[in-house]
Amino acid sequence: MNNLFKKKHELWLHVNYASFAINDEEIKARLYDFAQIEFRHMKWVAQATLEAGLDYNYDRDIMLYKRETVFEVIEALIVEIRSTIELYKDNVLNERLRTDDIYLIEYLSELLKDNYNNKEITAFNMRRKWLDKNLAQDQIDALTLFLFEESYKEYELILVYAFMQVRTKDITQFDVFEDLIDESHFHLKSFSNMMAKLGILALPRELHEMTYVIKDLEQFVKDGIAEEEAAKEMCKELSDAIKDEDLSRFFDFINYQESYHIELMQKLLK
Amino acid sequence: MTPEELKDVKMPDGMNAETLSHLMQPRNYGKLDDANGVGVALDEKTKEYVIFYTVLDGDTIKAAKYATNGCQDTVVIGSMFTDMITDNNLEYANGAIKRMNDKLGEMSQQQQVCADLVFSSFEASLKNFQNVQNGADEELHVFKMKESCEATNMETTNE
Repeated sequence: MNNLFKKKHELWLHVNYASFAINDEEIKARLYDFAQIEFRHMKWVAQATLEAGLDYNYDRDIMLYKRETVFEVIEALIVEIRSTIELYKDNVLNERLRTDDIYLIEYLSELLKDNYNNKEITAFNMRRKWLDKNLAQDQIDALTLFLFEESYKEYELILVYAFMQVRTKDITQFDVFEDLIDESHFHLKSFSNMMAKLGILALPRELHEMTYVIKDLEQFVKDGIAEEEAAKEMCKELSDAIKDEDLSRFFDFINYQESYHIELMQKLLK
Repeated sequence: MTPEELKDVKMPDGMNAETLSHLMQPRNYGKLDDANGVGVALDEKTKEYVIFYTVLDGDTIKAAKYATNGCQDTVVIGSMFTDMITDNNLEYANGAIKRMNDKLGEMSQQQQVCADLVFSSFEASLKNFQNVQNGADEELHVFKMKESCEATNMETTNE
């Protein structure tokens, strides 16, 4: 079961990062929807693992291969999905996972039939140029550091909240964790797509269990609120530093979202 | 330390290609199951930590890995430091810490704090190795950082 959880965690990342890497907006959006389905699979497998009296962790064994074309990304993804399907057993949950993944393979196979889809992947070229924006080098540097910092944090938050959500019996806590997970998914997607635009798309680093095995919820929430405050400050600094109206507005928007996260987190203390 | 001696010391200095490469793919990141020294440096104020895994064979560091919930400076320094010390001896590693610290004198306070976390976790892993050699039942050794910057050897955990 733990091995299945690990594979589903990896597959969620593979599909997510394939979506971020591909420039075509339609394929990107479809793959992102599938990535969200993979994330739900991962949560259901976590639930089933705990119900069976077993445990799981967030160890992973995954490399983000730097493919040069869309077809290379898709072909690699199909291999990953097939190897995950091999782990499915004969039960209701696994049947759902299997039918979803087979449908995903069918969608990907259709894409491979049309050479028009086989465009260049620019997400890993390390050029750090935002083609339709005129950003000075110091602004690009500030944005680069922010994106690495925050994409890791969002990935961390998704996994930490998911770890706690699956273990709580409190409905308010469950709802708050769900909202925070959803918000972090949106932030991770936004930041990762920006990284891809800059040619610096990278997987967030692996979480160590010291990060996600939470022994004191109250302390965790207090620390989390302090982190949200720090994130707000980073957004504000970046918004001030970036001399582009659209980007500046976007980081202000994220900043206001972080404010509401603090409100949500305070509900966990009641 | 002269500029000439500092020449071979790798440190993050702005957003150059090497730093970017360590950011995109940190070297030696993760756990080492066969580590015989495991150390943690914990900043109690911010809860940032670095956990450092060392495989020592005599005086030689055969492998080194680290993990952290810290900032990107910590990640890059950990990546560069583990690259430097792997397959070298302890004397070289201690020299590397000194050389990196000297070079960090030219950099921000923030980067010095991050470097302290990395180096202290490495030192904690050596302390753990030593304690176990002396018969202690200690899974890992923890150094708690004082005021987010000074390392003090305060506690040993037996986890």
